[in-house]
Amino acid sequence: MTQLSGSGSAPDAYFERRIVVAMLVVVAVWAALVGRLFYLQVVEGDRYSQSAERNSVRSRRLIATRGMIFDRNGKILVDSRPSFDVLVVPNETTDLDASIDRIAGLTGRPVEELRRRVGSPTGRARFQAQPVARDLDRASLARVEARLWALPGVLTQVAPIRDYRQGADASHLLGWLGEISPGQLASERGQGYRRGDVVGKGGIERLLDLDLRGRDGGQNVLVDAHGRELERWNAVEPQPGHNVVLMLDLRLQTVAERAFEAIGKNGALVALDPRNGEVLALMSRPGFDPNLFARGIEQQEWAELRDSPAKPLHDRVIKGMYPPGSTYKVVTALAGLETGAVTPEDTVKCYGSYRLGRRRYRCWKRGGHGEVDLHRALVESCDVYFYQLGQKVGVETLAYYARALGLGSPTGIEVAGEMAGLVPTAAWKRRRFGQDWLAGETLSLAIGQGFNLWTPLQLANSYAAIANGGTRWRPRVLNRVETAQGEVVSETEPEARGTVAVSEESLAILQRALRGAVHEPHGTGAALRRLPVEAAGKTGTAQVVGVAATDDVDDEDLAERLRDHAWFAAWAPAVDPRIVVAVLVEHGGHGGSAAAPIARDVMAEFFAAEAEAESSPPPPPDDGEEEPLHARN
Amino acid sequence: MPGIDRRLIQNFEWTTFALVAFLGAVGVLNLVSASPEQTPGMPGTALRQLAWLGVGFCALLAGLLPDYRRLERLALPFYALCVVLLVAVLFVGPVINGSQRWIVMGPARMQPSELTKIAVLVLFARLLSRRASVADMTFGELALPGVLLALPVVLVLRQPDLGTALVIALIAGSFLLLARVRASFVVWMAGASAVAASLAWMFYLRDYQKERLLTFLDPDRDPLGTAYHAIQSQIAVGAGGLFGEGFLRGSQSQLDFLPEQQTDFVFSVLAEEWGFVGAGLVLCVYVALMLRGLLIARASKDVFGCGIALGVVALLFWSGAINVGMVLGVLPVVGVPLPFLSAGGSALVTNMLGVGLLMNISMRRYLF
Repeated sequence: MTQLSGSGSAPDAYFERRIVVAMLVVVAVWAALVGRLFYLQVVEGDRYSQSAERNSVRSRRLIATRGMIFDRNGKILVDSRPSFDVLVVPNETTDLDASIDRIAGLTGRPVEELRRRVGSPTGRARFQAQPVARDLDRASLARVEARLWALPGVLTQVAPIRDYRQGADASHLLGWLGEISPGQLASERGQGYRRGDVVGKGGIERLLDLDLRGRDGGQNVLVDAHGRELERWNAVEPQPGHNVVLMLDLRLQTVAERAFEAIGKNGALVALDPRNGEVLALMSRPGFDPNLFARGIEQQEWAELRDSPAKPLHDRVIKGMYPPGSTYKVVTALAGLETGAVTPEDTVKCYGSYRLGRRRYRCWKRGGHGEVDLHRALVESCDVYFYQLGQKVGVETLAYYARALGLGSPTGIEVAGEMAGLVPTAAWKRRRFGQDWLAGETLSLAIGQGFNLWTPLQLANSYAAIANGGTRWRPRVLNRVETAQGEVVSETEPEARGTVAVSEESLAILQRALRGAVHEPHGTGAALRRLPVEAAGKTGTAQVVGVAATDDVDDEDLAERLRDHAWFAAWAPAVDPRIVVAVLVEHGGHGGSAAAPIARDVMAEFFAAEAEAESSPPPPPDDGEEEPLHARN
Repeated sequence: MPGIDRRLIQNFEWTTFALVAFLGAVGVLNLVSASPEQTPGMPGTALRQLAWLGVGFCALLAGLLPDYRRLERLALPFYALCVVLLVAVLFVGPVINGSQRWIVMGPARMQPSELTKIAVLVLFARLLSRRASVADMTFGELALPGVLLALPVVLVLRQPDLGTALVIALIAGSFLLLARVRASFVVWMAGASAVAASLAWMFYLRDYQKERLLTFLDPDRDPLGTAYHAIQSQIAVGAGGLFGEGFLRGSQSQLDFLPEQQTDFVFSVLAEEWGFVGAGLVLCVYVALMLRGLLIARASKDVFGCGIALGVVALLFWSGAINVGMVLGVLPVVGVPLPFLSAGGSALVTNMLGVGLLMNISMRRYLF
């Protein structure tokens, strides 16, 4: 190719002229830079440089107001309200401990708490304003401000504080705030996070942190030796974060929370719109009060939350995995119908127990159900019918139809941390335990006990698929994101994750049977009969510990922590449903008595709200008319 | 194999060497000051930079020992190698701070995009030298260089690394100065793309899309979305005054300052501690180095050498001007390191290699 001699063309006068041009450009640009340097350092230098009075320039962040979170009707769930704070710049105090003592005296806050909050800052933190006390009342603030002259290094500010209007209600869904962790700072660099930033730590706050947080502004302030601000300039206004509108209906959520409160139980509840996957209520109890985190959680409060045996931080609705109990029988029924192992007309005689080998498997009804077909078996939740059906189709077929309904994999809800549940198979058991599958385990499986695990959300979503004719929608808590001015930034769309590949006929049989479970004699879901529309539902009772079906134990004899979990999953109206509710009451005993009334209350509220909306125009939404807050003054 | 010519040693390019050695030393010293909080047990940033400076001098030697005219044949393979590395980095490069820029080799990390700067300038010098005609360039003749430039630029943008992509494009663009392109054509092209870009910006993109685009292109972008970095930087520079606050005594640098004070904003540390006198002197050394480079370009006996020299100067010029302009608050914050001063091995080695080429051209102007 190219040879050395080939490159011998010499630069001519043209090149020489152009090189001179380049020299001029270099000198001109660099002269401009030196000029700018001169301007900053020599002409403007006095303003910046620290003079004999020890004035110093600080650059202060103007914290953006975090966006609000609304329910579907515009009710405020989470707001940012002004908080009066006292801060201290350790390096500018004469005696840090004495200053904190004074602040404690003026505000009436315990001195140990304030000391703990400030700690003993070192390094850069000594030059930065550390919060001492947040959210003061006006009187305390006035007392502090009146004595600021005697407290060098102490300053006050108005900064937005997060206000979770509903306290602990929906706390897992909404999330909470906290200081960014070093790990997140490293892994999400480029998103604009800085050390010390307060970020969403869970739920929606975490999921939409970038939308909610807005953009902080900045300002230069000249401060004298006493920490007084002499001059401010170069302000860049902060921009408030976007508002988030959820699918949640606060009315339903509140009814659910109060219903659990009334019976004093823990558990979970999901309400979905089966037509599109919109999440109307999402509850996990016990919750926690996110306001604790907003004002800065105390070590001890955190320890209590973390170590409480009731596990308030555990989001049962998406992370809690429970055996499904009899709510699972729809899977067994579907497997039987689809494989042809059973026809709707086939009957089984239930004498109260079923014998396999030398073991006797009990039906929950000791006297037996007599002769039952599939419909009656679902209506009355006959265990014996499903023992024999399960044995007929086998574990692999059960697993296949469980998966078809979306079990064993996450539903795809937006918030992080959803568990997949467990659909056991023989291969799984061999992998997990190194043991062969036992025939008796298929029987347990067929009535929803044994290794089966699903989350309350999965239960709701699979029942929604049965109710709506086979579409598995992705559950959506998020409705839309809006700017502070109400311009829509993004909006979610219904997303079908798949269809249940079964015949319409099979689904119709299930739908009729679950309607029967509510409205026919001996139906287990009779609690729903008093709704203004017909409903369909299935009860379930999940065994907590190894009280096997063969044992002869009465629930009433069991201690609270050993009692069964109560399930109920239902939809209404029975035909063309508009709401699906799944309820789990931990240690609640029977699904029909403990869980179904709660589902009824939520549904009653749903239809009451519908009726109100039809008869009168919707109430005006809360307006967040407060001025945007800045960390100024 | 030609041995080292005696005349080479006689004509050793002392001026350039001295200027670069000065800048390298200032860089290491300044990093001592810019790293107040070192994790105990970790090799300090300054110490690491010193080690890289040693590697850099090897690169400088590598750039100056073999006759640069041999490079003409290697231009294309060298370019191809860089493109391959740029593709590879997108597949095997670890994601660090939200972008894939590095190829990890044992304890060291290397940024192929840095080496690409040299590859592109050598390739363009070759394209320049291969064109014998003195007639004005046609549109068609500019298409090939355009494609050869677009390929690495797009790959670097994919990492994403807006700053480096910009510098590569500007280096290549600088060759328009030597190419016989009608001035009206350059103006027309620049105008058209500026209009197209601003139209898209104003009418097509929504605010949050712009935001995401900018963040996508440059993850190091000003996190406050304000002039916060620039303001911080100006405060530090301004606090330096005429004579500075003294080595290791820059108070603004120790306060709530920029996270990138060892890299992109290292010049503000220098300016605060050494004042206008010190920072101005360093800027003058840069000017001297670039002017010396342009003199070497002018004195070069062939177009290829002239092109390389111009390219190396362009590399220093654009990186330096963008960085210092950003630190002094006259240009937007784009992540471009300051040659010889910012912490970072790949950039240092690349710049030293470039300077080695400059010296190479200077020392061989008498040999033929």
